[in-house]
Amino acid sequence: MTAGEVVDRIKRNLGAPWRENTYRDTFKSGTPETPVTGIATTVFASFDVIQRAVAAGLNMIIPHEVTFWNDRDDKSLVETDPLVYQQKLAYLVAQNVVVFRTHDSMHDQRPDFTFVGSAREIGLDAKYETSPGSHRFILPETTLGALAASVQRRTGARALRVVGDPNARVSRIQLGVGYATAAANTADVDVVISGEQQEVDGVLDSPEYVLDAAALGIPKGWIMLGHAVSEESGMLEMAEWIRGFVPEVPVQLVKAGEPFWTPK
Amino acid sequence: MTRVSRRVFVRMGAAGAAAAPWVLDPFAIGAATITARQVFERIQRFAGVEWKAVTVDGFKAGDPSTAVTGIVTSALATLDVLRRAVKAGANLIVTAGPTFYSRDDSATPAAGRGRSAAAPAPDPVFAAKSEFIRANQLVVWRFSDHWRLRSPDPFAAGLADALGWARYAADGDPGRLMVPAVTLDALAARVKSRLEARGGVRVVGRPQTRVRTIGVLPGTRSIQETVALLPHVDAVIAGEIREWESSEYARDVVNAGLGKGLILIGRSLSEEAGMKMCADWLRPIVREAPVRWLTAGDPYWRPTV
Repeated sequence: MTAGEVVDRIKRNLGAPWRENTYRDTFKSGTPETPVTGIATTVFASFDVIQRAVAAGLNMIIPHEVTFWNDRDDKSLVETDPLVYQQKLAYLVAQNVVVFRTHDSMHDQRPDFTFVGSAREIGLDAKYETSPGSHRFILPETTLGALAASVQRRTGARALRVVGDPNARVSRIQLGVGYATAAANTADVDVVISGEQQEVDGVLDSPEYVLDAAALGIPKGWIMLGHAVSEESGMLEMAEWIRGFVPEVPVQLVKAGEPFWTPK
Repeated sequence: MTRVSRRVFVRMGAAGAAAAPWVLDPFAIGAATITARQVFERIQRFAGVEWKAVTVDGFKAGDPSTAVTGIVTSALATLDVLRRAVKAGANLIVTAGPTFYSRDDSATPAAGRGRSAAAPAPDPVFAAKSEFIRANQLVVWRFSDHWRLRSPDPFAAGLADALGWARYAADGDPGRLMVPAVTLDALAARVKSRLEARGGVRVVGRPQTRVRTIGVLPGTRSIQETVALLPHVDAVIAGEIREWESSEYARDVVNAGLGKGLILIGRSLSEEAGMKMCADWLRPIVREAPVRWLTAGDPYWRPTV
């Protein structure tokens, strides 16, 4: 079983056309000819994840996100870094690690496991979803404060951030993942829960919008889990899916985890 | 200065000089009148930076020919800031951030915004903000691109000052601080407390990491900027970054065993102190109207679990 064969099977089983011109879903390290000893799915191919995967005997990493700290994994943007870049690169080569990112394909797939995983972890039950794949959930009415506390408890996100009046009465939730985060002024939505969104100078700056809505007594909320927490849960479903058509080697989730902590 | 606004100042002065010490400034209650456009022209003249052809800076709401009764600077022209400005008798808001929730700063949601490309329905938040500005005859002028062009960067200088560490600026650059040794944990706690943050402070690094040199990156910053700075300091305090960029880079640096830290405080909070500094800068160059800074606060909170 080579890394190239694993990728071929992913393409064959995807159920959606493969984007031939994607710059994201490509090999970031290693070659298609490399024999695979085991597969680790994860949200970020962090140095730590790579080391733990190697220790577990898994030499192929399938991250949803980047390896070299920019969307294109363009090494020229970061190769001047004297701290860790060379070390990470050297480790990947020395350990014969293959990294193949699945981002665009994962979001093209139905269901999109990033949404499935995040809804599972947050506890947004399918019975509340307005229609399959809408990612819109009508929950029994609660307060933004109670909802945020429940989301934090279930995800364990230490550095989750919330904007809005904690006492606002809310029930209509729009789930987003990663940076695919709906604007806070999306019609018929009280609360947007997602990973990350630009704070200022975006297409719609949700934090400021929600602050003003709160000042007007309009119930709105914005709950950001952080990019890693938002999209890591679905890498469990991803591992299970790959296991189904790659029975030759072990496949498991190796969590990158939340990068942040918060001061007292 | 108009009769109405003078009455407002007198009333505020009677209410207590502590609440509005500038009302006692004889120049502030002086006879000269200045319009919002004249304030802008004076800023242009004194800023000492070349004005860009393409910029987010400019008038976002209101009539530039309005006579200015008072000026408020703020990191973000939120409705709450606008209300407090009106209470303080000011009608010109100088903001670092947008007024209408986007880089375009259009007073109505743009077509195609959000999930559908159809013309958007009237938005009650946009509408209420416009109406508040109209009813109170406010003028909002954005000052972001050009304020940060000044040297040293007033946003970095403001942050250094807010942290109580202005005197530790290395070689006069407030973007580089050399401070008495502190742990990353204690530094993050100091940042949170001094900036009156609620839930906006997030940290990457080991809490016990020893920090003596700090790099300051206010605003929204790229991976290239973080890669250029973190190797030269123990910790970076930044406004907003992309989480597939600088925070993952910092995580890898820390996991490589290096004693480094990254403290994120959010874009708006990172620009608060710089806009306070802007009020101090404006005051002597616009003597016709009182100038004060109003905090927009940390937008973020998190549940206490």
